Amino acid sequence: MTAIEQEKKTDIVEKLSSELDASVVLKTDRRLWVTIDSSKVVDTCLKAQQMGFEHLSTISAVDWLEEGRFELVYHLWSYKYNSLLSIKTKIDRNKPSISSINSIWDTYAETCERECHELFGIDFKGNSNLTPLFLEDWKGPPPFLKDFNWREYTLKELYDEENPREKAYFEVKK
Amino acid sequence: MKIGPVKEVFKNLFKKPMTVMFPQEVVEIPERNRGEHHLDIDECISCGACARICPNRAIMMVEVPPELKEKYPKTYPQVDLGKCCFCALCEDVCPKGAITLTTYFFLATFEKDTTIKEPIIIE
Amino acid sequence: MTNKQQKYDVGDFAMFFGPAHPGSGNFSVKVEMRGERVLKATADPGYLHRGFEKLMEYRDPMQNSVLSDRVCVLEPLQWNLVHAEAVDNLMEYDVPERAKYIRVILAELSRIQSHFIWYAVMSLGTGFMTGFNVAMGYRDYILDVFNMITGGRVYPAGYICPGGVRKDLPEKAEKKILAVLDKVDYMRKFASTENLAWMARFKDIGVLTKEEAIKYGATGPILRGCGVAADVRRDDPYEIYDQLDFNIPVYDEGDAFHRFRIGLEEIEESMKIITQAVDRLPKGEVRTPNLKPTVQFRKAKGETYVRNELSRGEGAFYMVATGEKTPYRVKIRGPSFSHMIPILERLLTGVDYADLPAIYWSLYQCPADVDR
Repeated sequence: MTAIEQEKKTDIVEKLSSELDASVVLKTDRRLWVTIDSSKVVDTCLKAQQMGFEHLSTISAVDWLEEGRFELVYHLWSYKYNSLLSIKTKIDRNKPSISSINSIWDTYAETCERECHELFGIDFKGNSNLTPLFLEDWKGPPPFLKDFNWREYTLKELYDEENPREKAYFEVKK
Repeated sequence: MKIGPVKEVFKNLFKKPMTVMFPQEVVEIPERNRGEHHLDIDECISCGACARICPNRAIMMVEVPPELKEKYPKTYPQVDLGKCCFCALCEDVCPKGAITLTTYFFLATFEKDTTIKEPIIIE
Repeated sequence: MTNKQQKYDVGDFAMFFGPAHPGSGNFSVKVEMRGERVLKATADPGYLHRGFEKLMEYRDPMQNSVLSDRVCVLEPLQWNLVHAEAVDNLMEYDVPERAKYIRVILAELSRIQSHFIWYAVMSLGTGFMTGFNVAMGYRDYILDVFNMITGGRVYPAGYICPGGVRKDLPEKAEKKILAVLDKVDYMRKFASTENLAWMARFKDIGVLTKEEAIKYGATGPILRGCGVAADVRRDDPYEIYDQLDFNIPVYDEGDAFHRFRIGLEEIEESMKIITQAVDRLPKGEVRTPNLKPTVQFRKAKGETYVRNELSRGEGAFYMVATGEKTPYRVKIRGPSFSHMIPILERLLTGVDYADLPAIYWSLYQCPADVDR
């Protein structure tokens, strides 16, 4: 890496930190991480987009069961700076609700949020289209939660211990 | 009229076809092809590593039939080919090289019970 | 009955394109039509949801690398690579140089065969059966190479695994890889001939503008077809791509025809990459030394986001590890997720029904990585 590039990188970190009003950390090459408060998510995303982080790669959610919080991660890529900015924010697990960013990335953000809503039960305020995406006729709790054990669920609902071919699955559980 | 297509037609007339006449001719199967399992029961030390690493739980450690129990007192891997995804992790993990994947792949069957491959077959 | 007739126009009806339609894959699009015109399209994924992200939380990384080929049937080796890189990053493995070259060669071969399928399904969608048969036939030559190297024709079963690759290349593999490039070149020329039926079906159909493409999260050939020169291999280099010399084809038109032209030119670039990589292939180890068949994941802690350029766009893994045997959370970002839901819905609004398959296949969807 040349000296100019190195200088440019520290520049981005400083510029982003002042613009987003949060401390941006450069962990490895081209990977920037920032943690913000959940109320500022739309604001931060909009500022990041205006700075050149135009491509929303994906929105992912992590369920931190012990802490009792959901962590939402917005991965944004910049074609200008060739860097990835991951915006992390935490919300309460019992009342999971956050503002939607569909004003910035339109239906793509809506679709990502639909996925999070279906698999984690997170409510996105302002997103009118939160219909189920993948699961059909699903009656159970949101399946990607850490306290939902699908192994036990499928053993109870779908498998038969008498069946010799399915016996192996019951044995491992013990 | 363009000459290109005509040339192509003549070229294809004398070309060997891509396919082979199956039962008489067989496509060469590479050595690494992951097919049916083969267990060398004399080498097996019953460590159970294959059963633990199997992603699909296709391998179960079972006892051999009573007639052979004296010779083989421990438990040996029994493979359910119906569940197997032929990833060959069992081959990699085996410390003695007892379980290997052969190139044999004609495993289609009409009966569900016949997919289970016992560690040893009594004649 | 009478109420219904009052409520709707006589020519209004709703139709399902897929999942039982021969040319749609395991995906469904509900289209509301007025006469021949599509008023509104709603994508309906979920026919292939296997819950990989949850499954991976229960398995250790070596088992996950077997699972990762199944994310998409069309390019299993490339998904293997993304997963292996994510684990390498978390575990801080030093992948041997030879393994990196082998990974790139296989990923590029996988890209070529994937683009052949693209040509095949586009032909199938527009009723050009010869194109379908020829492309699938030539793809088989590449599958033979995969069979020789990885042991499986379609699924490599975790050949590209954390820490390198599972086995070294067999004897004379380099020669066979270079030999198959001749076949690839023939097929590429066959696909690039000016086909009037194709031009009529694909030209000026499904035009996506640059702004829309960025807003809706388009990546890969779809984005480059709209005039944005972005390629993960160049912008965010992984493995040895920063040492290789290749071009990035870009077209400004943004229609179905030029999206596929990008695919064809990428085949040429991939061939260039493979010849370079085979030429420079170093000798040595192919797997991080002292690594057992089972990867010990226990000491890994932290998170990583790995992006790769797949044949259809950007594929990414977000992996969180907390020092347990299995990853704490895995998020897979498939390229088709943005192409098949927001972009397809946007492009289908207001087109003729006859153009639907052309637009649908020009986005090169794979329902498997939408649903995961």
